Amino acid sequence: MVFNSIPFAVFFAGFFVLYWFVFKQNLKLQNLLILIGSYAFYCWWDWRFLALLIGSSLLNYYLGIFIAKSTIAKQRRLLLIAGMLQGIGGLLFFKYYNFFIGSFAELFSIFNVRLDVRTLQLILPLGISFYTFRTLSYLLDIDKGKIKPTTDWVVFFSYVAFFPSLFSGPIDRAKLLIPQLEKKRAFEYAGMTDALRQILWGLFKKIVVADNCTAITNQVFDNYLQLPASALVLGALFYCIQLYADFSGYSDMAIGFARLLGFDITKNFNYPFFAQNIADFWRRWHMSLTSWVTDYVFTPLSISFRDYGKVGLFFAILFNMVIVGLWHGANWTYVLFGVLHGCYFIPMIIKGTMNKRVKKTKATLIPSFTEFRNMAATFLLIMLTNILFRADSITHAVDYYKHIVSRSIFSNPLVIEKTNTVIFLGFGFFMFFIEWIGRDQEYGIAAIGIKWPRIFRWSFYSFIIFLMAMFMSTSGSAFLYFKF
Amino acid sequence: MSDILKQVNAIFTDVLDNEAIVLTNETTAGDIDEWDSLSHIQLVVTIEKHFKIRFTSKEIQSWNNVGEMVNSIAGKIQG
Repeated sequence: MVFNSIPFAVFFAGFFVLYWFVFKQNLKLQNLLILIGSYAFYCWWDWRFLALLIGSSLLNYYLGIFIAKSTIAKQRRLLLIAGMLQGIGGLLFFKYYNFFIGSFAELFSIFNVRLDVRTLQLILPLGISFYTFRTLSYLLDIDKGKIKPTTDWVVFFSYVAFFPSLFSGPIDRAKLLIPQLEKKRAFEYAGMTDALRQILWGLFKKIVVADNCTAITNQVFDNYLQLPASALVLGALFYCIQLYADFSGYSDMAIGFARLLGFDITKNFNYPFFAQNIADFWRRWHMSLTSWVTDYVFTPLSISFRDYGKVGLFFAILFNMVIVGLWHGANWTYVLFGVLHGCYFIPMIIKGTMNKRVKKTKATLIPSFTEFRNMAATFLLIMLTNILFRADSITHAVDYYKHIVSRSIFSNPLVIEKTNTVIFLGFGFFMFFIEWIGRDQEYGIAAIGIKWPRIFRWSFYSFIIFLMAMFMSTSGSAFLYFKF
Repeated sequence: MSDILKQVNAIFTDVLDNEAIVLTNETTAGDIDEWDSLSHIQLVVTIEKHFKIRFTSKEIQSWNNVGEMVNSIAGKIQG
């Protein structure tokens, strides 16, 4: 039941009516409905790990209360460690067990030592990376005194399983979402229409841009040995567009659906491909993950390494980026992705420009030369590492890179699905153009047509809907970030 | 403005390269654009050198606003 499906539309419509018109007067019932709805949503996908989700919520709910009550430092620490072990342990087991065991055996095989290791047939519980990060930050924030634990179990369980952001984030912090669950939400017409607009834009990015790009990227990455270098570069470009349109489209929809229920959840993207440098990019891409890792990994590390100056800063960033990479999955490609991104920061660390925020420029239609040059250079760096992100293995990625370095880079890249390639590229550019115009807004089309007469505004929305009807991909692929 | 707060203010304007910064005890990172996780470490290092003190990692992460940071500094200097 993905957001862009008929079952979800039916589910959400029924949910919406019950939520606003039947249970509106009763906050407790409304929250209970969120919880039941979230579990139903989860079970629709895969019921097998519901017990894990409930068990994890139960344990962390009580740990939160006990940590806050505990006055003995040692006891408090033990309780926190128990929570960390459960969260990180669960992730390590389900997500990384086979990876570490396999890599360990391979390492020993280099020295001609054969280890008899057994990998397990494990299925990754859906959403585990997202909801575990919620529970971890909840306990860490209580321990630091940043928040107080909630004593309403329905509120806490709903926070962990909140269905608009359960499978692919944003990774909301307790500080943001729990207070909203604890107080009455207001039905505001203007907010609702704005939320629908955000969903419309997210839907367009997903079903027109991302899903159509999938067909091209899959063909290029699967047949890269037979294609000219120029087609491989085009394939990498398509993958960047696909990844962004898919994940930011999902995020726009998640935020929109949450807003329809009266919640403001975490912004996840701030037009990352308009970033002026790599640090700027990571402030704009998957923001709820990067801010999480910054707060709980980078900050403690950089504090500990602060006596080692720039070298300390580099290692803190490197470790941070490897965690970001590995969070996406158990594959050496993600580790290398993190290492390369860590290395991308080196020039900025040396120059000491790491914390220089990019000055806001005037929202002109045409970017300045410097802006354009910086955007293009940053995009190229991202595109280069996204090949690793998409590849099945390091060998696959290295082969892909090798085939790019060839004279066929100057040949015609349009060798597969020529017409479609041009049309789909056009959709990508249309998306970026609209977002460039709306880059100061919360989402791409937030302000487009707001001051126009209604007929023009609606013509614009109708045009988007028309494009969706005409060009929506029928492949109906799941969101890329579900697998993380 | 207390003497410590004045000195901290001077460090902020220097490290963050923003002359317009005026700190109060209630100022938080959300109030100053340039104050993020990276510049925070630089601020801490400069403050430690300036006052010849050393914070623990837990102290640094427990501050919620400038006032709490200033109290920590005052505690170290007087202690």
